[in-house]
Amino acid sequence: MQILIPDSWLREHLKTKASVADIAKYLSLNGPTVDRVNKVGDESVYDIEITTNRVDAMSVRGIAREAQAILPRFGIKASLTNISTVKPRSPNKSLPLKVNSNKYLVNRTIGVVLTNIKDWNSPNWMKKRLEAAGMRSLNSIVDITNYVMLEIGHPMHAFDYDKVPNATINIRESKKGEKIVSLENKEYKLPGGDIVFSDDKGNVFDLPGIIGTKNSIVTKSTKRVLLFIDNNEPYRIRNTSMKLGIRTNAAILNEKHVDPELGMIAILRAIELAKSVCKATVASRIYDSYQQKPKLSEVKVEYQFILNRLGVSIRKGEISKILKSLGFIPKWSGNNLHVNVPSFRSHDVTIAEDILEEVARIYGYNSLPGNLMEGALPHVPTENLFSFEDKIKKLIFSLGGIEVYTQSLVQKEFVDLNKAVKIKNPLGTDTEYLRTSLKASLIEAAKGNKQETEPFHLFELSSIYHKKSSDLPDHISKLGGIFYHYEYRLAKGVIETFLKRLNINFSINKEDNSQFLKSKRIVFKFGKDELGELGYVGNQYIYYSFDVESLRKFSRKFKNFISIPKYPPQTEDITVQLPQKTIINEVIQSIKDTHKYISDVELKDIYNDSYTFHIEYQSREKTLEDKEVEKIRQKILQKLANIFGVIVKS
Amino acid sequence: MRDRILNIKNEAIAQITEASNSEELEGIRIEYLGRKGKINELTGNINELSSEEKKQIGILINEVKTTLENEISSKEDQLHIKSAEWFDPTIPGIKQDLGHLHMITQAIQEIEDIFKQIGFVRRRYPEAEWDYFAYTALNFPSDHPARDEMETFFIDSPENKKYGKMLLTPHTSSGQVREMLRVNSKPPIRMLNIAKTYRRESDASHNPLFHQFEGLVVDEGINITHLKGTLEYFVQHFYGPNIKVRLRPHNFKFTEPSFEIDTTCTICEGKNCKVCKEGWLEQAGSGMVHPNVLKAGGIDPKKYSGFAFGWGVERALMMKSGVKIPDLRTLYSTDLRYLRQF
Repeated sequence: MQILIPDSWLREHLKTKASVADIAKYLSLNGPTVDRVNKVGDESVYDIEITTNRVDAMSVRGIAREAQAILPRFGIKASLTNISTVKPRSPNKSLPLKVNSNKYLVNRTIGVVLTNIKDWNSPNWMKKRLEAAGMRSLNSIVDITNYVMLEIGHPMHAFDYDKVPNATINIRESKKGEKIVSLENKEYKLPGGDIVFSDDKGNVFDLPGIIGTKNSIVTKSTKRVLLFIDNNEPYRIRNTSMKLGIRTNAAILNEKHVDPELGMIAILRAIELAKSVCKATVASRIYDSYQQKPKLSEVKVEYQFILNRLGVSIRKGEISKILKSLGFIPKWSGNNLHVNVPSFRSHDVTIAEDILEEVARIYGYNSLPGNLMEGALPHVPTENLFSFEDKIKKLIFSLGGIEVYTQSLVQKEFVDLNKAVKIKNPLGTDTEYLRTSLKASLIEAAKGNKQETEPFHLFELSSIYHKKSSDLPDHISKLGGIFYHYEYRLAKGVIETFLKRLNINFSINKEDNSQFLKSKRIVFKFGKDELGELGYVGNQYIYYSFDVESLRKFSRKFKNFISIPKYPPQTEDITVQLPQKTIINEVIQSIKDTHKYISDVELKDIYNDSYTFHIEYQSREKTLEDKEVEKIRQKILQKLANIFGVIVKS
Repeated sequence: MRDRILNIKNEAIAQITEASNSEELEGIRIEYLGRKGKINELTGNINELSSEEKKQIGILINEVKTTLENEISSKEDQLHIKSAEWFDPTIPGIKQDLGHLHMITQAIQEIEDIFKQIGFVRRRYPEAEWDYFAYTALNFPSDHPARDEMETFFIDSPENKKYGKMLLTPHTSSGQVREMLRVNSKPPIRMLNIAKTYRRESDASHNPLFHQFEGLVVDEGINITHLKGTLEYFVQHFYGPNIKVRLRPHNFKFTEPSFEIDTTCTICEGKNCKVCKEGWLEQAGSGMVHPNVLKAGGIDPKKYSGFAFGWGVERALMMKSGVKIPDLRTLYSTDLRYLRQF
């Protein structure tokens, strides 16, 4: 939570010669972070971030307490001033107030009635401070309640005493659907189980701890004011505040365990201000109903524990001094430390580690050295998935692939609904599902680059998600890519080179699938296992996808070594005319199968229906003679003529 | 015979040295090394010798041959250098196309490499995860406000009796207890978990999907100075040797004490600029592992202690000097005009 603290206000509670800059710097190092110091007129205002566990510091007084503990660590004297809170004399005839409380809903209530409000305008100094702290000035009574909340840290409310029927407050749980109208004239339907104040007839006249309601608030025509403090059950406050979306300062404090001990100080401070600012008269005694006092705990810590966790040596006396400066009461017995936790920290400090934190932060994290760990290293598993993923990315990258990161959350149209995991609270319908494939995201990414005039190749390596009944979805690591405007043979060549460099002995098979254009898809296999697929998913869009785990499983780090042949190969190009619809791979296979001396066959060139094959003849036993090669060539041509009906060109 | 050979050699070398152009040099080559040259002539005379002499003279002739070949070829080079043949060595090269690895990939690889050097082992844990590992095991009470603050995406599926709701992990910390259980609750643990994480936020500094890297160390005698030392090691390798680490008090449910990690501003190197606060940058969260988290991982908090930190990959990347990306969501752009820059 962010709070704004004017410097002059802070110094009413903190006696120190520290400069504004010093206070900001040292608080940030050892306590709450001062994000910045703003200048408002001639006032410096600290903008401070306070973590949710430190409700005790969410006030001027709270920050003063932190500062007086921290500044001396940096050689600057600081101390807290006393707050003079004198209980006013009760009037001879006290106006009545009856509170029918419920200890499960409230810990403490305090009320006092004021009359003779002479001045409804706040003085300038108060207005200025409230505004500097980010609050609007309304009228003097409301301003006083806000002022005291900012200063002491306990929220407070002011009722029109005459709008509280029979001067009776019944504290109860709301029923679902009960309505309130807030002081801002907005109607709310209560979710049920909220803490409400109602009159004897059951009519709700306040949503305590969160917001005042129109039917009981103070206005400038109010004759008698009831100042009221309610220390509520924080979980209910949070629940109501979140469900209704009412995030007042009071609610934000009240949901964090405000110390009920502060209640009396707060009400006395408010009475004092009302007397001086509005010339008000106290017309009742102070009605204090304290049902649940905070549980005060003692935390035990061993000296050695502090030393072990801190990593440096610190004297017992210094530990005590630090804890005392923060309001704790430490007592040593031998090497055991017993720490009494003050009420304002009772929810925050409960275990030895919490005590360590207080000691360590005030000692100064900055004063601690940095060391690397000693000790045994964890056992490193031999199969490293991440280095394999790296290898894949680097291979595709070196083959011209451009890596993208697209969103895992996609729209309904992008997923296979039988497998897709649905988000209960998506940001929008376009991010409602976890993707079941990379395809749609990659096509979209390619389509977004219409300005490109040259072919390009995008790829991504990421998980996709398939739902499982009553278990977490499968996270399947996939390599996906899209070639846009690529010549088919070039795209396929990229993938073939990629697989060859992974040393995967793959085969391909033409298999249709509804995700691809008809008869324009192939699958890559290792034995019977499918590795991935490639094919047209649209005119000019060639998509591929591989299962990373399968690639890893069938990839070999090193190939078997083959000795370099002793005898030179003979090579030649043969051009043949092929009838239409001939499958080239079959031709190549057929050539290869002709003779054991044919060591390699590659398609070298295509011109209309003429195909040039580059053929390598090699024997491991001898240098082949021209006559032998001639014989094999004749065999090849005869075979091609018989099987495929080719016409030989050269 | 031997003398004759050496004389021919010296004579040839003298001529080679004096040659002033390629044609002259070629003439010398033919005269000595040509088919009917002086060296071959010598070889013809070899038959007159005894077999022992034959062998030795043969070796000598070969040596002379090699020497002369080398002399000629180095003289050729010399003549070439001197002749001012027109050549433009500044002509543009023919473009060779590599692809592009994404900046996030490059950052992750660098982060992994740095932590590997000090014994961390990289892991990855589920992105779609149980509430138990994301919150409950990390010491979040069931209705703790921090759960809302995390702005969690929940998955539309039935709750598990033991593990609660299914969600998208808002942080890589959900791998902490999983890692403790993976090693059968037996430290030492030095884990680096780099993964995708999700929060319901989208603005200039948030994309609903982002990456975090999480360090977790558990062993005997781990203390705050070890956390500080590890972070210093990382930032000085990642950002530069002059970068310092500053820990400030913070509050997380799963660590006690908890710290916010600041580093010297990587843009102005600590001089104070628009990006930083008084020369410091807020970078990440960290702390000493809460005893309840160790217990959830089956580890005895009396015997072992640990630290953890969680850092945004995108944040770390954007704070690298020179990488000036104004909007974090740009990292997720698929526009080639952006992708080709890295």
